[in-house]
Amino acid sequence: MKPISLVIVLIALLSAVAGQVFLKKAMESSHGAAGFRSRAVAIPFAAGIGLMTAQFFLNLGLLQRYDLSFIYPFQGLSVIIITFVAAVTLREKLTLQLVAGSILISVGVALVSLT
Amino acid sequence: MTTQSKPTGFGNPWFQLGISIACVTVYELLLKRGAAETANLSPRWSWTGLSGLASIYVWIAIVFVILSLITWLHVLRYIPLSIAFPISQAVHVLVPLGSWLVLGENIIGLRWIGIALVSLGLAVVAKPVARLEEEL
Repeated sequence: MKPISLVIVLIALLSAVAGQVFLKKAMESSHGAAGFRSRAVAIPFAAGIGLMTAQFFLNLGLLQRYDLSFIYPFQGLSVIIITFVAAVTLREKLTLQLVAGSILISVGVALVSLT
Repeated sequence: MTTQSKPTGFGNPWFQLGISIACVTVYELLLKRGAAETANLSPRWSWTGLSGLASIYVWIAIVFVILSLITWLHVLRYIPLSIAFPISQAVHVLVPLGSWLVLGENIIGLRWIGIALVSLGLAVVAKPVARLEEEL
């Protein structure tokens, strides 16, 4: 894998993580009466969709060069990142079992990627 | 753990999570087929991925990713991100299996071990959630 491709993989990964957090924030705020008309929903929703769209095109460019079964698992590293980011930014509860499961998933994904 | 009472039937967020996972799997397989079909169209700009839009497979993939997004947004309303996201990683088992079965890509030994570890991790994450759901 070329260094530039690795950078694109990392940017795609960070876009995916930030996109998910923004979407979760938007959907949490959508429980209110104003729904999607509220700025508290619309702004994080637009940010989330924008980041996911950027990740989509970066991913498409990577797929034109590498096998799907090689590129896709890199995104699995987002599991452990999102689990911790959700705990910090969204104040979600972290259990030992959740952390252990996330680590197992990430290690599994890394093994799939390394081969 | 959840922020409000969950809908039942088709609107059940766990069922919607399953649909979302299936849609992402189909999306990835179609995207790879479309990307392979358009890989040599415009080498200068191919890093942007935009040349992939010349393939019908990519457009069908976009339909599936929109469906997955709609179901995923529904999931996010009811299930914490730190639980829903790890479970959604079932795609890391389904996509390599799909690339092997549908696209004819090779899966060597270590990759199978990785797939098994991801499956084990999913079971570890899902078990306390299933117990909690039974109690409710």
